[in-house]
Amino acid sequence: MSMAVQIAEIAHIEPTTAPLFELRGISKEFPGVKALDDVSFSVWPGEVHMLLGENGAGKSSLMKVLCGAYRADSGEFYYKGEKVAIGSAADAQKLGIAVIFQEFSLVPYLDIAQNMFLGREPAGRIPGTIDRRKILGDAKRILDSIGFDIDPSVVVEKLGVAQQQMVEIAKAISQKARILVMDEPTAALSDRESELLFALIARLKADGVAIIYISHRMAEVFAMGDRITVLRDGRRIGEVRPGDASPDQLVRMMVGRTVDMSYPRNFAETPGKIMLEVKGLSAATGISDIDLVVRQGEIVGLCGLVGSGRTEVVRAIFGADEATAGQIIFNGQPTSGGPDQAARLGIALIPESRKTEGLALLRTVGDNLVVSALRKMFPSGLFEPSRAQRAADALVKQLRIATPNTRQTVGLLSGGNQQKVVIGKWLAADAKLFIFDEPTRGIDVGAKSEIFALIDRLVADGAAALMISSEQAEICHVCDRAYVMREGRIVGQLSRAELTEENIVKLGMHHA
Amino acid sequence: MTDVTKSTAAPLRSFLSEDVIQVFYRLLAAFLICVVLSFLSESFFSLGNILNVLRQASLMFFIASGLTLVVLTAGLDLSVGANVALSACLAGTVIHHSGSATLGVLTGLAAGGVIGLLNGIMVTVLRIPSFIATYGMLWVLNGLTYWYMAGDTIHGFPSGFRQIGSGYLFGLPTPVYLLLLFLAIGTIFAQRTIWGQEIYAIGANPVAARLSGIPVNRRLLLVYAVSGTMAGLASIIFLARLNSAEADIGESLTLPAIAAVLIGGTSLFGGVGTVFGTFVGALILTLMLNGMNLLQVNANWQPLVTGIILVFAVWLDMKTRQRGR
Amino acid sequence: MREAAALPANPLQRIPGVAIMLGVLVVVFGAIAPGFLSTANISNVLVQSTILMMLALPMTLIIMTEGLDLSMGAVLTLTSLIVAIVSLATGSMLIGLAAAVLVGLAFGIANGWLVAVVGIPPFVATLGTLGVAQGLSLIVSDGQSVVGIPHSVRDIYSATLFTVPVPIVMALVSYLAFHALLYHTRFGTYIFALGGNREALKYAGRSPTRLLIIVYAIGGAMAGVAGLLMTARMNSGHPTAGLGLEFDAIAAVAVGGTSFERGNGWLLGTLLGVVTVGVLRNGLNLMALPSSIQVASIGVLVILALFLDGLRSRL
Repeated sequence: MSMAVQIAEIAHIEPTTAPLFELRGISKEFPGVKALDDVSFSVWPGEVHMLLGENGAGKSSLMKVLCGAYRADSGEFYYKGEKVAIGSAADAQKLGIAVIFQEFSLVPYLDIAQNMFLGREPAGRIPGTIDRRKILGDAKRILDSIGFDIDPSVVVEKLGVAQQQMVEIAKAISQKARILVMDEPTAALSDRESELLFALIARLKADGVAIIYISHRMAEVFAMGDRITVLRDGRRIGEVRPGDASPDQLVRMMVGRTVDMSYPRNFAETPGKIMLEVKGLSAATGISDIDLVVRQGEIVGLCGLVGSGRTEVVRAIFGADEATAGQIIFNGQPTSGGPDQAARLGIALIPESRKTEGLALLRTVGDNLVVSALRKMFPSGLFEPSRAQRAADALVKQLRIATPNTRQTVGLLSGGNQQKVVIGKWLAADAKLFIFDEPTRGIDVGAKSEIFALIDRLVADGAAALMISSEQAEICHVCDRAYVMREGRIVGQLSRAELTEENIVKLGMHHA
Repeated sequence: MTDVTKSTAAPLRSFLSEDVIQVFYRLLAAFLICVVLSFLSESFFSLGNILNVLRQASLMFFIASGLTLVVLTAGLDLSVGANVALSACLAGTVIHHSGSATLGVLTGLAAGGVIGLLNGIMVTVLRIPSFIATYGMLWVLNGLTYWYMAGDTIHGFPSGFRQIGSGYLFGLPTPVYLLLLFLAIGTIFAQRTIWGQEIYAIGANPVAARLSGIPVNRRLLLVYAVSGTMAGLASIIFLARLNSAEADIGESLTLPAIAAVLIGGTSLFGGVGTVFGTFVGALILTLMLNGMNLLQVNANWQPLVTGIILVFAVWLDMKTRQRGR
Repeated sequence: MREAAALPANPLQRIPGVAIMLGVLVVVFGAIAPGFLSTANISNVLVQSTILMMLALPMTLIIMTEGLDLSMGAVLTLTSLIVAIVSLATGSMLIGLAAAVLVGLAFGIANGWLVAVVGIPPFVATLGTLGVAQGLSLIVSDGQSVVGIPHSVRDIYSATLFTVPVPIVMALVSYLAFHALLYHTRFGTYIFALGGNREALKYAGRSPTRLLIIVYAIGGAMAGVAGLLMTARMNSGHPTAGLGLEFDAIAAVAVGGTSFERGNGWLLGTLLGVVTVGVLRNGLNLMALPSSIQVASIGVLVILALFLDGLRSRL
């Protein structure tokens, strides 16, 4: 039986000879990282093709390439068997590709109809005006066709997230989309709303629309998917049918890798004293009831999927976000207050986006290195540039930061060296608890080792570290223990022995 | 390790700081203007005229110096002119009623400082964007001043007091000494105190500054308070110079002060600039206006020229930032 | 109705804040300001508000795009002088009007270009053009009032059309035109997008740059028309009349509920805001309080409105 017929049988659709849309060998590279590496896959009309992968597997890059926001470096696209190019958003639209991102592209104070037809409004009799009746009528028709019963003159700002998503889908359909790419569509929906969405998807299927569906939720993947493709490290690992594979198998495909990780790590035999204790921490940013402990000499990992609340937890600990409940106890003393308080006590945060949150890119390496230590270095208030320079030089040497001198603009350094500057800033400030949010993101392999060696030295010297990382391999190699988060809560703790990639992913993904 | 010395972006910072280079260019511009003016007008290089220019530039500088700190944090204080007017009127009243110049000076400084603090509160606590907050404050102050003065003028101050504004000391106008004093204080504060360093950090990246442990709100309150207090100081000098106080003295002060700050190389977007640069900016603007006066150009052209120079300075600022990316 | 959709759903919030403020002011002034509620005074307030209305309408659009036009008052001053000077020279009110609109348009396009093409923040760009307009006003008038202008100009202010004063007719026509523009044309739709989600416009294939320039240009042109009204009212051209009116316009828009971010605009709110500001000034005037206090109160009103706007968007 040919592939086409096989798929048609599974998806209960009309068999055709060529896939509706196909990617062959698509690659996309950014400085230091290969986002997509020779990815190929296809979708057939009326098929729901699930895309699975961890954070950083390449899903979002793929979406951006499909909608024309990124241009692929190499590879080809085929539409109904014919080669096409996607160089811009307009190209993607012409091919009938519509991508629905998690952050919607709606104009808040326009109504549904206006949002659906933005830029393509039906003209009224006087040139420049809009035919209100027609736009509302057209909109209503499409909304009805997807089973969304709502007045198209309602302003979008009033709608809930689920409804806004429906509007996005209606918009895509009004653009005659034949290929819909949906990114975690049920992430912000209640169970009931998800049901409605699934019903809509079934309808679209029946109409022959192909759907590329990105999800972490195993239940959905198996219930809705006709085929499942797994991505890992930008590569297509494999494609299975729901009937032929088990969730465990999928997890292993997403996770398993043999990587040469020569991170030096001297694990402490006996745990040191407790440095940080968090009890029942909750915040308006979406975390609830967080309990965790970090001891001297430990590197504790904080894992979970993107959006599980890890960054929110560390920001609350650092005082960057306000806590609504719970206690943060540092070295036996309960603390509260903002980042200035935390810094004074010796807590350090190395944020996820070092360029926008960790450094002042236009200032010098020296300026950035001493900025958190000003009060400690100059208690009288008088700033001595020469002493600051010497301290900065010492740090550059100690951390082996590659820069011609401390007067270099920090924005010109490589990612790895920028990260070292951020760490160095806290070293200068005598921090004792280092909180890392994705410390090795966007850093090449050589620099990664150095950073981990650095962290290892820090904790060996009596500090403690709490580390968020989406690369499970890192966590497993480097951490003494790890907490796993899901949807704003801590759902488990893994000891050194239990710390495997599969366990992390399983805990992080399980959706009852 | 990757070689970072090869870059196509901004030039390497060698032993000369980027800021110093920028100020140097502007000093050069000021010098060139002087040269041109001395050719165009015989009376330019007379002692009287030079001293006049220095005095005018000083007055502009007092307001602009505090404003520099605000702009360094990527903010703006549009209320400075109105601040000067109200503070001057209040100080004048106190001097008249109490006979004490000292009390008057304190009143002026205090009034300016309180206004500045109120601006700071609007920006930090109420989280109103600085240009809107200070714009609203501008009108409130204007209204209060006009109402308070009710069309009157206060004039006639003790001659000892007047020396501050119109007197001479060793041949130089007194305000020039104050200029040097505040230039020194301002520069020391900005470059040689930790608060100054923190202010630069806030301007360069307020989010990173906060996450680096800098108490951003407290520093912002400080800069607005300082800007207000310097306006208060300027009001005293104006009072002494003009020997009178009226409700409208502040009207033509705000635009030139902002222009001086921007011409001097302080970036609207924060984090870049120096107090000395502002002084040079004030000098350049004063020289241009002085030149126009000497060449008998209609005084009505002045706000227009100031406006054009302001836009040009912002354009230059944006070009410089783009180049450095 | 389309505009009603912009009101909050909560019944308690359904009555817009500006209506409440207006109501309170009318009641208070009716009680304590002598002669406030007489027909002559009410009609006076409405007629005098028309100039502000001409400025507040385009200001609403500009603020919706997350911008600001601080030069409007100065441009108004300049255009009112142009009306006086040109109509005096040519004897024709219409030519004077045309010249004023052209000058206003030029400033509007300049503002739009500085903001959209060069990328200068709106308040700085318009602060600069404010200085230029202010300077030009002083230059063309040489600091003096321009008098002796043709009667046809002055008559505009006092004439009536079916017993409705012409200025009010003009204001109403302008309001209706802006209403149609904002809610019934493509251009109006795009203005919402400029403030609410500029990216969405780009994906839809529209150029935000061109649209922004047009928005500011409209502001300039309206300042030209308002110039005619101003000259008609004063029966002369004055080198500083009109300075600072942009503040009243911004106040009217802010008080009327248009937000400074996210692209939410409510024209009816601006209309109510204009009347509110007019009532405030009028009432304080009748109480013999000087213009300065009026201005200070408006300042407080703006800060209040902004603070509440900030609260509302965070709720």
